[in-house]
This record gives sequence, C-alpha cells and structure tokens, in this order.
Amino acid sequence: MTDVPVSRIRNFSIIAHIDHGKSTLADRLLQTTGTVNARDMKEQFLDSMDLERERGITIKLQAARMNYTARDGEQYVLNLIDTPGHVDFSYEVSRSLAACEGALLVVDASQGVEAQTLANVYLALENNLEIIPVLNKIDLPGAEPERVKGEIEEIVGLDCSGAILASAKEGIGIDEILESIVYLVPPPADTTQEPLRALIFDSYYDPYRGVIVYFRVMDGTVKKGDRIKLMASRKEYEIDELGILSPNQIQVNELHAGEVGYIAAAIKSVEDARVGDTITLAAAQAKEPLPGYTEAKPMVFCGLFPTDADQFEDLREALEKLRLNDAALQYEPETSSAMGFGFRCGFLGLLHMEIVQERLEREYDLDLITTAPSVIYRVTKIDGEILEIDNPSTLPDPQYREKIEEPYVKVDIITPEEYVGTLMELSQNRRGQFKDMKYLTQGRTTLTYELPLAEVVTDFFDQMKSRSRGYASMEYHLIGYRENPLVKLDVMINGDPVDPLATIVHRDKAYYVGKALVEKLKELIPRHQFKIPIQAAIGSRIVASESIPALRKDVLAKCYGGDISRKKKLLQKQAKGKKRLKAIGTVDVPQEAFMAVLKL
Amino acid sequence: MALSPTNFTSHSSIAAATPTAAYVHIPFCRRRCFYCDFPVSILGDHREAISRAQCANIVEALCAEITATPRFNQPLQTIFFGGGTPSLLSVHQLEQVLTAIDRQFSIATNAEISLEIDPDTFDRSQLQGYKSVGVNRVSLGVQSLDDNLLRACGRTHTPEDVYQAIEMIRAVGMSSFSLDLISGLPNQSIEQWETSLKGVITIDPPHLSVYDLVLEPVTAFGRQYRPGESPLPDDETTAQMYRLAQQMLTNAGYEHYEICNYAKPGYQCLHNRVYWENRSYFGFGMGAASYVNQQRFTRPRKRNEYFNWVKNYVVNGGAIDCPITPSEEQLLDTLMLGFRLAEGLNLERLGDRTDPFTITKILKTLQPYEQQGWLIRDQDCLRLSDPEGFLFSNVVLTALFEKLS
Repeated sequence: MTDVPVSRIRNFSIIAHIDHGKSTLADRLLQTTGTVNARDMKEQFLDSMDLERERGITIKLQAARMNYTARDGEQYVLNLIDTPGHVDFSYEVSRSLAACEGALLVVDASQGVEAQTLANVYLALENNLEIIPVLNKIDLPGAEPERVKGEIEEIVGLDCSGAILASAKEGIGIDEILESIVYLVPPPADTTQEPLRALIFDSYYDPYRGVIVYFRVMDGTVKKGDRIKLMASRKEYEIDELGILSPNQIQVNELHAGEVGYIAAAIKSVEDARVGDTITLAAAQAKEPLPGYTEAKPMVFCGLFPTDADQFEDLREALEKLRLNDAALQYEPETSSAMGFGFRCGFLGLLHMEIVQERLEREYDLDLITTAPSVIYRVTKIDGEILEIDNPSTLPDPQYREKIEEPYVKVDIITPEEYVGTLMELSQNRRGQFKDMKYLTQGRTTLTYELPLAEVVTDFFDQMKSRSRGYASMEYHLIGYRENPLVKLDVMINGDPVDPLATIVHRDKAYYVGKALVEKLKELIPRHQFKIPIQAAIGSRIVASESIPALRKDVLAKCYGGDISRKKKLLQKQAKGKKRLKAIGTVDVPQEAFMAVLKL
Repeated sequence: MALSPTNFTSHSSIAAATPTAAYVHIPFCRRRCFYCDFPVSILGDHREAISRAQCANIVEALCAEITATPRFNQPLQTIFFGGGTPSLLSVHQLEQVLTAIDRQFSIATNAEISLEIDPDTFDRSQLQGYKSVGVNRVSLGVQSLDDNLLRACGRTHTPEDVYQAIEMIRAVGMSSFSLDLISGLPNQSIEQWETSLKGVITIDPPHLSVYDLVLEPVTAFGRQYRPGESPLPDDETTAQMYRLAQQMLTNAGYEHYEICNYAKPGYQCLHNRVYWENRSYFGFGMGAASYVNQQRFTRPRKRNEYFNWVKNYVVNGGAIDCPITPSEEQLLDTLMLGFRLAEGLNLERLGDRTDPFTITKILKTLQPYEQQGWLIRDQDCLRLSDPEGFLFSNVVLTALFEKLS
C-alpha cells in the first residue's frame, strides 16, 4: 500500500432506504475501481452475515478502501464506510457518519424519499457531511427523476440540480459518482501531527484474533506494535495487527489521519472496544476523547426461556458468545415460577431482538420461549424511590406506587396520501398524539405522532406496512418519559398467575386488552383432559375470563383400507406441536401464547 | 462397557414381511355420501349401460395390475373388497378379479374373502353368486337404522332395505357378516344412538364396526359443519356414545377387539388384523394402499392417473417407486396400529423391531398414562384400557411420537 497524502483521501458513506440499491451500488464501486474483480464478486459484498442477506438489510457495517485515478490524473483513496439500515441501530449509523466527510444520498427514482433515509440524512447534516444526491434505478420504466428530485429538495432542502442519475445495476452514472466524491467531498483535516485519536465505528469478535476494531484515524498516526488506550473503556492493548479493508483485510505498518483501517489487539470482547470509543496512544494520550460516545441503552426487554429446562446452560453459553460480538445485548438471569430459569434480555429495538432470538435458535439450536417485549417503565414509589421496571411482573403493587411514567417516541411516517386515514387510525388506536401532517410532492405525505414506545414495539411496524400495502416507511426516536394511568394486567391460567403473560396497559384499554388476550389464549392453548379457566385481572378484580373446555376424547377413527399415511401425519403434526409446549403447572402452553398480547 | 444401539439389529419377522393379504378397491358408488372422501366415481342411478362399461374398464385395469405384481411363495389368507360399493360389480366381474388373484398368488382354501355391500344394491341371486365364487364374509354398510339420519348422510337406502339385506345374507347362508354404524351424526341424540344400538343387537350380527363421524374437509359435511358444534353433537356427547356402545355391545356378548370393532368369539376380521399388526399386504385399485417389501404405497386416486399408472406398472414389471419405510418409522407404525387392538402390543415382539433403549424410552413415556389408568401393562403386554384409554389413544400416541421422533 502506497502512502497517500491526506489531501487525496475521501471518506464517505451511502445513505439509502432498504431496497433502494445501496449494496448494489457499493458492489459496483468496488468493481469499477478494481478493488474487487468481477470474478471474485459475490453479490452484495458488504452484507456478509447470512441473516442480512436473507432480510436484504445491513445489520453490521463494514468498510472498503478503493484506489481511484480521477480524471485529473491523480490517485485518490476512497474509503466507503457502510451504515446499517435500520432504526434500531441509529447510534451506530451516527458513528459511521462521524467518520466521514461526505455521503451519497441514494434514492430510488421510482419511489422517493423514505422516513429512514430522512432520519439518516439529518444525522449526516448534523455531522456536517457533504451530501451528494444520487437517483438510482433510473433505467426502470417507472422512474420519475424530476418528481423525486423535487421531493428531495422539498423535504431535505438539498439542491438537486446536480443530482446524479444512476443505475447501479446497469452501471449507469458510476464514473460520475466517483468523480463527484473526489471533487465534492472535502478531504479530511490534516492533523497528522496531533496526538492519536481514532474513532471506532464498528467491531466484531473473531475467535482466533480477538475483537477486530474498525476505525477512522481522526488525528495523529498509529503504528503496528503501538500500545493503545481506549478512552471510554480505559483499557490498554498492544496492536498485534494493523491493516486496511480492501474490502478484505490487508496488513500495513502505519495509518495516519484521514485513513480508515482495522486493528487486532487481543481484545476479549466488543464491549471493551465499543462503537464510538476513541483510540489513543497509551504513551501520548489525547486530551479529550472524540465527541458523541454513548453507552448502549436497551429500549426493549423480554424474557428468554428454554423450552427444555436442560438447555438453560446452553442458553447461557450462547448468550455469552453473542455478547462478545454485540455490546448492545444485555442479559441477566431471570427466574419465573411459571417458566423456570431463563434470562431477561435487553435489546436496542424489536429488530435487534428478533435477530438475537433467531441466531440463538438457528446457530445454537435452542428451543426458546420468548415473552412479549416490554419497555422500561419509571415507577415512583410513595416513599420517593424511583424504580426502572423492565419486567411487568415486578411492578410494585398500586398501594406502593405514586406514579408510573412510560417512554414516548416521536414517530415520523412517510406514506402515499391514500393511506393517511388508515395510518392515523392506527396511531390513534395506539394512544398516539397527532403532531403534524405535511403534504410533500404528488400525493406523498409525512405524518408525525408522539406515541408510547410500548405501543410501537408491539406490531406497529407490521401494521403500518400491511395497512399501507408496504408503501409507508417510518422512523422513531425517544423523546422522553410521560406519566400515564397505567395498570398491570395479570393473567391466570387454571387459577395460577402466569407472570410472563403479565402486561402493563393503559387503564382505559385494560378491559379490551384483557378480553382480547384471554380469547386469544383460549384459541392458542390446546385442550387438556380438564377444563382450564383463563382469566385476566387487575389486582384482585377479574376483568375478563374464558375457559377451555376439557378434552373429552382424542381418538383416530378408522384406518380405511390400510391407508395409514394420513393418520400418521396427523400424529406427527401433533407431536411436533407438543415439542414446542411449555408446561405451566399442569397446563401445556405453546410458544405463541407468550407473544399473544402482540397479536390482539 | 457402553452399549451401542447398533448391537441390536432391527428385523421384522419373515411372516410379517410376506404379504398374505390383499385389499382390492372398487371405486364406484351410486352417489357420494356426505361424509365420504374416498376415491370413488359416482355412477348415478343408470346402473346398467354406462356403469357396466366403467366397471369393465376398472376390472380390466385391476386384473392387469394384479398380474403384473411380483408373487411371493405364500398363498393369500385374506382378501378384502372395499369401496366404493363393491356390490355394484357383477358376479362375473368379481370372479374375474378373484381368478386373477388366485392365478397370480394362489388363494388359500380356507381364506377369508370379504366384500363390502350396500343395502339396496344387490339381490339374493347376486349374493348367492358372490358366495359361489368364493366370498365368505360380507360387510353391510348400514350406518344408521334411523330413516332421518340416513337421509341426512346422503345414503340411498332406508332402514327397511337394511332388514331385507340381512334377511338375504342369512338366507344364502353367509354366516360371517358385519354391520357398519356411525355415531356423532348431525342432530343425533344419545337416545337415538341407544335405539340404534338396541336395533343392531336385535339383529345380532357376528361382527360390528362402530365409527365416530370424522369430518373430512373436502366433503359435504366438512363444508357444512364444524366439529363439535351444533347440529353435530359435542365431544362430550360423542364420547358418551362411544362408552354406551362399548357397554351395551360387550354386555350383548361382543368382544371389543379394536377401537372401532366388535365381534362375537371367532368372528374377528382377519384381514383388518393384518393392518393393525403392521404386517404386509397387497393393495390393488384406484387409491388403494399397499405395504409390500417395506414400501408403503398409495395408488393414484384419480381414474385416469390410475389407468396410466397401471400401464407403466405393467411395463416396469411391477416395480414400485417409493422409499422403504425406515425402521424408526416402522416402529411408530407398529405402535400407532398395535394400540388400536384390545390385546395391545407384546413387548417381546416389539423388542424384535427395536433396541432395549427405545423400549425403556417407550415405557418411561407411557408411565403417566399407566397411572392415569389409560394404559394397562400386564406381563409382557401393553394395552389401552377400554373405553377410557381408547378414547384418548391419540394423547398417548402423540406422546410416543414426540419422544421417538
């Protein structure tokens, strides 16, 4: 690797909505600059986790260094720093953007600006990034570049006269994008002489080398063998390996201000080298860390219990391993009289929760019961003590409570006009407070609501998607806590309270939720040889009750003409269902029942 | 020393592996009963011209299939003509099929040859004819002795037809016969059921099959009704009907030898026992299932597909293209079928099909049901109790399936 002057480095990222073609564009840039040759090109190089590919979203970010000879004849180094594309990871996005001087704003020319894109553009603007608008998929028959340009100007306030018309898939506009990066994105400040400060924008755990840290050198120089200090975690390490990402790791001896690279330094867990932390030299420490570091704060909590109690230790090990690579994941042991031993886990959001659950089941082969997600409630007790409650079953009884506050979020939805009515109804039903509605260009509207987070972490996103036939997009961020008349709704199955089914609801909705919940449970819990009462209660007052009639017979009639295949299939299906049941007292409860409150 | 399960070879006995039974499916009915989803062609009432031709086609295909099937060196002990309505076949047609079977496999002299017949589809001379070509057991599709219920099921016959049919059966000297009854029909009350049971006890057949109505999705009933909901009796009532039948029929001298079957001593259906004992059997005809050489195979359920299949089957020299049932699956089959019998399963024989670890696992799984009184273990036998164990047999089987698969 040749040494490159700071003035010829360009650091940029790509801001785009899911499916608007970010990964394809990244692939195309790597190919055009000769960083990856066509033969080695796997589709969508940047998304390396299977789960990401399946869902078409980027969860973990990566980076790539490209050498590019511009039309002016000079050689430039272009560092692409990728950003995750989901609302749960906005902190990670903000740190990636802080490592850049510019960003490509990629918008699908047939669709337009989406809520998530908008949120990330604002983050980029806050970080003073130069933003280059790119209209992608220009080759598609439905492309309406003029409308979309108008929309970007209207919503984002960006001048789009110079917007690049591109098709990453067809290779249209790629050279223009590369030239624009060189000419429009400012070079990093040359602060090579200052004490080392490098911003960590990603890290992952490698079982052989320890944590691999991705960073951008903001000031100074770092060399292989340097003893470094992480300013937030206060840990010190010696660099075993220093390198760049091209996009595969290539070792180098030195990196200076403006450059992007990675280190391996026998770091044991990503928790010790968190995104946003500042790397400095142990011997010549910087005075101040880089701004913007925040501790990961889980917003959504749920209980994870093994279906089979014997798997508890396996679950613990699996969580430990995942945590090595995911500093945002929190967990602590939880014991429930109904569920036995498990863990209370904290996540950044619903997607994060789903990803963890899925990895536990898929990669660690565990059968899990997940309880319905909860947010953190702030409870002020009569004696003035303030408690943070992330598990409804631990809510103090009413006589000890002064008030309960719950987290609120501001939700921005961008939707085609025709779905405004139904989305307003949805938000209203979820205790939303209407804040704003703006007509954008040609039938597109933004809706702004303030909603309790608890109402958003249920199936709000799915509902929004289904009500708008997939056209609406949303973004939310925490705006603080508000007091509400909340009550705890307990559920009793066969007379025993089942704490994982307890939920905190607004007093006015308690009756409805209780009724719907017991009806749903009646549907989900199989019949037993005895009658099973199911009740919902607030304190000692029963607000809803149903019962599952006893099973009076369960017998296969005849096997006609010796054809046993159908009867056998039926038994196999029943047996499979039985494996996924959790015994609560004498009642076998299926997995779905614990999430029933989300499906009312 | 650690015992390895591979030390135990699972083998089923030669006797069980060589088919000595044959099922023949006769896929015609005059009309479709509202609860039926069997593979049948509906002939309507013009029985003569069209149906003769159709029956002839089927008989031809059946004979081709039989003749193409590889033979074993054991004569057949049981043959069962099911349907559909086998009594829509002429005596000559039935004889053609039996002759083909005898030529190909040879039929043992004292073999049980059963034929399903429906009231109002045959006369005395026809029945005499069936008997003369070898049929020695008939199963009469009575279903109910209540005129309203019969009509509600879409049956073509009346109670009067039933009594006439039984008179004819007795008149031709067919000493072994069975009646079918269905419980749990729309609007059927426990009192009506009791009357039906009294009625059949008066008729005093040597064998009875008593079925609880099963709602199959693609039937008239399946579309019209929901299980356990009015006008169908609820589960409580149908469970009561099952218990009542068990009580009344055993009091009348019947053995309740299988979940749905009752027989006077010496009159059990030997053919059906082959299924329940998980032994091999041939199957011929549209939609028929066979279990030969450890291959379970069901023939196409549609006429033209079946005809094409037979053509290919003949060309391929009777080779069946389907996987062998693995031994773990054979064990599940043995359990699922064996627990249908009152005598249950013999542990020693079960030991031939699996290893001691699995036997231990089975016993452990069954323990709670033993305590509950649904399962009885005496000596080397495991069986479900009657009627409670039978009524909840699926619960027991599901637990076994869960633990063994």
